[in-house]
This record gives sequence, C-alpha cells and structure tokens, in this order.
Amino acid sequence: MSDRDQPKKDEDHILAGEYALGLLSAEEAGAFEARLGRDPDLRAAYAQWAEDFAAMTDDITPQVPPAHVWQRLEAGLFPDTRRTGRLRRLALWGGGLAAAAVLVLLVFLPDLVGRGPVPPVDPPYVAQISAEDGSLVVQAAYDDATGTLFVDREAGGAAPGRALELWLIAGEDAPVSLGVMPQDTQAVLAVPGGLRGRVAGAVLAISDEPEGGSPTGAPTGEVLATGAVRDS
Amino acid sequence: MATRDDIERYILRAAQGDRAAFKSLYDATSAKLLGVALRVLNDRAEAEDVLQDIYVKVWHNAARYNVNGLSPMTWLITIARNSAVDRLRKRHRSGTTEALDERIADGGAGPEAQAAAASERRRLDACMAELTVDRAEAVRRAYLDGETYADLAARFEVPLNTMRTWLRRSLLKLRECLSR
Repeated sequence: MSDRDQPKKDEDHILAGEYALGLLSAEEAGAFEARLGRDPDLRAAYAQWAEDFAAMTDDITPQVPPAHVWQRLEAGLFPDTRRTGRLRRLALWGGGLAAAAVLVLLVFLPDLVGRGPVPPVDPPYVAQISAEDGSLVVQAAYDDATGTLFVDREAGGAAPGRALELWLIAGEDAPVSLGVMPQDTQAVLAVPGGLRGRVAGAVLAISDEPEGGSPTGAPTGEVLATGAVRDS
Repeated sequence: MATRDDIERYILRAAQGDRAAFKSLYDATSAKLLGVALRVLNDRAEAEDVLQDIYVKVWHNAARYNVNGLSPMTWLITIARNSAVDRLRKRHRSGTTEALDERIADGGAGPEAQAAAASERRRLDACMAELTVDRAEAVRRAYLDGETYADLAARFEVPLNTMRTWLRRSLLKLRECLSR
C-alpha cells in the first residue's frame, strides 16, 4: 500500500461506517451496495464496522418473546404445519363440548390427525408445565386408562447439547423420571404401570439435563418448569 | 447457552430448509434480538411485530449469511437493528410518535457473559471515549436510535453539513483507534 492510496482507503472506511450506521441516502446506499458486491476490501471495511457497532448491543437486556410470536412466524413461513395450540383447543373443547362434537371436528379437519402423535380426545387430566417467565411452556394431557401422557411443547426447548427431562412428583415422594422429552414438539410418553394411578393431583416438572437424561435417576440440573396436574 | 459455532450451524442448516435448526436458532437468539428491537423502538408490541419480520428475513436470507463475512451474532444483530430502525423511520414519517429525545435509553446490564464480546465492547468503549462526549453520543444515537444526519443536526443544533463532517471525522478517528 502506498501513501497515495491512504486517502481513498480512509474515505472507504468512512463510507462503510456511514453505511453501517444507516446515514447514507438511498441513492448513496445503493451505490455503496453495488461496490460492495465487487470490492472485497470494502466488504472487509463494512464487516469491521458491523462487528464493532454490534458491540453496542452487548449490555441490552435480552427479552424473551411470548409464544405467539413464534406461532405466527411459523404459521406465516410454514403454513403446512398446523400444530401449535392444538392441545389447548382440544382441552377447551373437552371442557365445554361433548366428545362427539370434538370427533366431528376431527373428522372435518383430517390434517390434524394425519401425522405425528395424536392428542387424546377429552383427556381426564391436563397440566400446563411452564417456566415463570414463559421461556418454556409444555401442555400435557394424561389418560389414566391407557397410561399415555401427551405433551405439546409450545415454547422453549432444550439448550444445545442438553436435554429436557420430565419428572413426576407425587405428594412427598422423590421425583420419578417419566423420560427425556423428545426433539419433536409433540410426543406421547408412556407412564409405567405402577405410576399410572399417581399422576392425578401430582406435579409435573421439567429439568435441564445432559443429553440422554439424568445419569443418576434424580434431577441433576435446574428445574426449568413445573405444573400441577388437574382434572380437565 | 448456544455457542457461536452452534448458531452458525443453525443458520447454515436453516439455509438448507431445516426447520428444526431454524427453531433452535430462534430459541437461542430471539431474546437477544427482541432486546435489540425493543431498545430501538421502545414499544413492546411493535418490537415483537418487528421480531417476526426479522426472522422471516433470517429464514429467507440464511443462504447469504456469510457473503459479507460477518460473525453469526453480528449478522443477526445487524438484521434486527436495521429492521427496527426501518420501522422507526416509517413511524416517524407517519408522525405517530413522541419526540426522539423522549425515548428512554436502556441502561440495564444484561447477563451477556461471552468474554470475546465483552472485550470487543471494552475496545469500542475505549475508542468512543477518545471522541468528545457529543461526538460519541452522535455515533451511539445513529446506531441505537436510528437517528439520521438531519435528526442529529437538529439535536446538536448545527447545520447538516457540519454534522456530517463531524461524524465522518469521528468515524475516521474511531477506525484508527479500533485498528491499533
């Protein structure tokens, strides 16, 4: 690099900074972007500013978005997936409508039952297992006749390299694992025979565990969410 | 907490249409990006609305992620900041908001624990401190509040061209300092 080039380099750094701050007019920004496509040095100058300025956001407090933001986003981007809130709707219907009416709805909405685990119709017991800040929300429906526990993870998920494990806490007893929550947002878990009668009135809890679940048989990580099982 | 590599992997997988990876990306980064949008817009409902736009852009542009050589979080933060600023400017054009200086600055310190990010922040702070208070403030307001040259000229009560000259000089000083 010769000294002769320095003013031009300085000007490019300034221009890239103005662009990164959004200070250029639409016309100037357009011209800058056109150059960006063919000038690697200019791209590097812009990338430097973007990295440096992004540091200004470091002390901004993160804000967990409510579940409906993801639901709308998903509905907009992937209209073929219709799963969110299904369980909640069913629970509402189960409470207010005859099971027959629910069956009619299911018949007329065949895409609801075509794939994946099927939520129980009119489940006797339901629970909302949720974190205080709403960062993890799992709807659960339990059928004591079959011992099946249907779970629908509406918000949140396991941290990368970690797993969510579901626990049954009946009365004063120590938590008993009901298994690791699958990757899929909806799943059916089988409750072992000896525990089937103990789910009603118990508390369901979800803890953060190593991949594959707690190595000790008792929760080892933070309890992320809890919810009481109640009559539907 | 997702690492830089995790986030990069989610973006690259989302670029190939992997919806589960996109959900993981959303889970790992949406709180940060909502924080950024809220800082710019200072309106929770509007920030949530913009957050949706942000991730629509992320999904559609994931394949172009490394075109400019930005780190994964910077790429996401830049999309979030720019989307929020666009919304803010639209709002100003339609004249439905309070005066700029009535917006509250967010002083809360988040639990951002990444050592690398912290050191970049310290480097930026140190270089901003080499500018006069007004000039550093102008750079911050341009980035975090989306203020234009016209906004800044009005705020600091100087002619637009003077404001522009000031800010361009500040950028050059900053770049020299940051490159040291």
